[in-house]
Amino acid sequence: MAVNAAPITATDSLSQALKANIIPNQEYLLQGSVLDSAVEVLLHRLRGLCDNVDAGPETFDDQEVCFSLRDPNQQSTPLTLRVRKALDARDMPYQLRYIGQPDLGDKNRPTVVRSSLDIACSGMLIEFLNELGCRIEFEYSVKGYMFRKGRMKITVAKVFKISQSSMPPEPISQSYLVELSVLAPQGQDAIGEDMRAFADQLRPLVQLDKIDYKRLGHMSVT
Amino acid sequence: MANSVNISIEAPIENQIQEITYDGQEIYQAPLSMSENLARLAQKIDFAKSDDEFCNIKKEGESSSEVKSEEDKEPGYQSSLWPWDSVRNKLRNALTEVCVLADVLSIAKEKRYMVLDPIQPDSIESRPMVQVYGRKKALSAAGAVLLNGVERLRASETMRMTRNMPDFHIDLLRLRQNWRLKKVSNTIVGDLSYRTAGSKYSQTGVFEVTKAPEEQIAQAMSMNAAGPTPSALRVTVPPELQGVAFISVVCQKEQEEVVTATLSSSALNCPGTLPGDGAELHWQQKLEAAQNVLFCKELFARMAAEAVQLDASIPHMVVGNQIMATVLPGIQLLIGLCHNNGQNNNNSEAVKTKVVTSVSRCAPSPQPEERANKNEHDHVLEHSLHQLLRAVHHAHTHHPFPHPATGPLGPSKRRSLAGPMAADRYELLDMSKEQSLLEQIIQQAQHFFMRRRSEYVLDTIAKEVKDPLIVSHWNALNSPTQSCVKINIMAYGYDAVCRTSLVVHVGEKTLKCICRDGKVRHLSYELQELRDLIYCQIYQHQMTAVQAVGRCMGWQLLASSSHLGSGPVEPLGNASSCLLASPNGDRMIAIRCEPSVGIQVFIAQSPRKDFFVSELVQDKKWENLGGAFKEVKLEKMEGKNFLNKMELLMACLSSPS
Repeated sequence: MAVNAAPITATDSLSQALKANIIPNQEYLLQGSVLDSAVEVLLHRLRGLCDNVDAGPETFDDQEVCFSLRDPNQQSTPLTLRVRKALDARDMPYQLRYIGQPDLGDKNRPTVVRSSLDIACSGMLIEFLNELGCRIEFEYSVKGYMFRKGRMKITVAKVFKISQSSMPPEPISQSYLVELSVLAPQGQDAIGEDMRAFADQLRPLVQLDKIDYKRLGHMSVT
Repeated sequence: MANSVNISIEAPIENQIQEITYDGQEIYQAPLSMSENLARLAQKIDFAKSDDEFCNIKKEGESSSEVKSEEDKEPGYQSSLWPWDSVRNKLRNALTEVCVLADVLSIAKEKRYMVLDPIQPDSIESRPMVQVYGRKKALSAAGAVLLNGVERLRASETMRMTRNMPDFHIDLLRLRQNWRLKKVSNTIVGDLSYRTAGSKYSQTGVFEVTKAPEEQIAQAMSMNAAGPTPSALRVTVPPELQGVAFISVVCQKEQEEVVTATLSSSALNCPGTLPGDGAELHWQQKLEAAQNVLFCKELFARMAAEAVQLDASIPHMVVGNQIMATVLPGIQLLIGLCHNNGQNNNNSEAVKTKVVTSVSRCAPSPQPEERANKNEHDHVLEHSLHQLLRAVHHAHTHHPFPHPATGPLGPSKRRSLAGPMAADRYELLDMSKEQSLLEQIIQQAQHFFMRRRSEYVLDTIAKEVKDPLIVSHWNALNSPTQSCVKINIMAYGYDAVCRTSLVVHVGEKTLKCICRDGKVRHLSYELQELRDLIYCQIYQHQMTAVQAVGRCMGWQLLASSSHLGSGPVEPLGNASSCLLASPNGDRMIAIRCEPSVGIQVFIAQSPRKDFFVSELVQDKKWENLGGAFKEVKLEKMEGKNFLNKMELLMACLSSPS
């Protein structure tokens, strides 16, 4: 770098990056679930299909807190933000995540496409959000295994409810949540086809599909 | 230019010109009236195509056709020129047909006057013999194909059973358990490159598997009856990967000539080549050798590229198959790719080195028939190079996983912490720089030399200096670029009294010494600096040890100085001294210690023995001012070492005689 050149400001490089469409702000997602009794078989299958699982699958243990920021006039839908921290790697930064509404688009799209922004933050994040006025909606912890194949990330995890006292967290269901996701910049729709092809390889064990949350919301909860 | 021009827009003439009169007037064709227009359009309808529509209007047709026919008659009957005529005729015919059909169906439904009966279709005359012959022919063709396949299998099976030949398929199975194979049209090919392990080298390692011809197997078996059975496979590796190769790493003193003429392509690892073209080698050995050749080629190509790109103070040179890099001033590192193709070339035969199988690290005894005993291939550095390239491959495939799980795949831990920890531009640039293989191996070679030199210095000092014992403990655990040694200086018999320790961290080009006073000194790669430091430490130890012994003996320390300003200037370090007084107070010992000269001991007696009253000094009490110091001849004294002598001296002077 020339010493005499004017330094590039952060806003300049950010706008350049936005123009060049290299910021991965879209998430392509497929989800499914598998019962506890069948998860071992699925893990074996994923070990065979995914990259570099010679030393055993990578485990993770995360805790997620969801905040919402409401408008004072209470008319628009509140902004939801998620804060996720790794319980097994305490020195890694917190991830602040914004997930947008899924792109309705055309029904033929193989995966759910929604905008997603992930930002690494330091530990002061929760205080900062509280100062901004966000309130905690809910929290849960997730524990399971992570695999990757090329750009795709596959997680097989169990969701736990966090209990107030020092009791161990209890699972909310007898099943594991399986998610196949890719973070990509806008416009790279071909990855959806690859994801669908991979999901088909897991087909008899787990059915990975687009889940429409709005329809789920109308179903009655027993 | 400034004037505006009016433009008028008119529609073009709609009606065609029928006639232009002689006076220029145009007579237009009158536009078609509504009925005429409708007639024109109706003429365009093709009744042959649109049948189904007219079936629907059958009923209306019945009622409206009479109306229409009356209407048709009214304007003058110009049969062929009138457009609705054809329409009317067609509709009327259609109506007739449909009415007839309706009538027939209603009559048939009643079953009184008409009944509908099915008709048997004409039976085809069957000719069974033709069928039989056709089927027989087809079956025989299929059977012939199957028999053909079975014949081949049976032939190979009988051959295997009778002559005890190796089985092709079992061998193929074994090959498949070790190597990746693929069937491409008729041939079986395999891949022996490190692609799936993370290598990005462009040279492919494709080999072909064929069946070994039977005569060759039979010949090999008859020649080698007692040995293992040859395999039924023959493996063909690409010609550039044939033979054996290794990377030779040699550290040597700097040579006068720039390029060393002969490259020691000693056939260290080459298996014994059988007569023929080496095809009788077992396929496993052949493939492993070829894979090794590919690995060595990749390693050398990578390092050669780095050597050209890197900007070192003394530039690295790449000549043919050799890379020459300067490790320390006067020491060169030669990395060469030795590839023995299996063909007889002058090089492999001319260089018949006495193969030294163990690499001796400390000064090797030179044997007269060896060329230069410094030109030994360093197995440790070669192994390090292999490990470094494997680490590069591993990094290409094993990317770190994000924690927490929603993070982006790809960035390393440092990179993902760069955001929250507000790393600046320079830190980010630093993160992206990674050390090349050549730099790493040069660092390891530098450390190797530093360690050797430090060992040499410590060993020679330990041999030379017997009085305090120099004991060095090297750490068992060290890294390729850092070692640690703890040096204890103590006297024999007095190790509990006083012991001086120092720690030396040996790096790549520097040494870091942490002495007993807590000072940290950074030394360069020159041997003399370490030597000087150790000598200074030895003499400091003597001084402190004497004081400690004095304390044990009850002698009192009157004065001590580590950096004495009196006396001649020392070439090395500073002189130190101390003054001890006996428990009675009547004797004194003065010790002066210098690293280059040694130790001098003087003693004095407090009431002077040689006091004589003189005119100036008359009182007898002045004899209590101490006498002159007299030097002690230490080398004539009894005692195993300096401290022992001092202890004896103190004991002797303490006694009340």
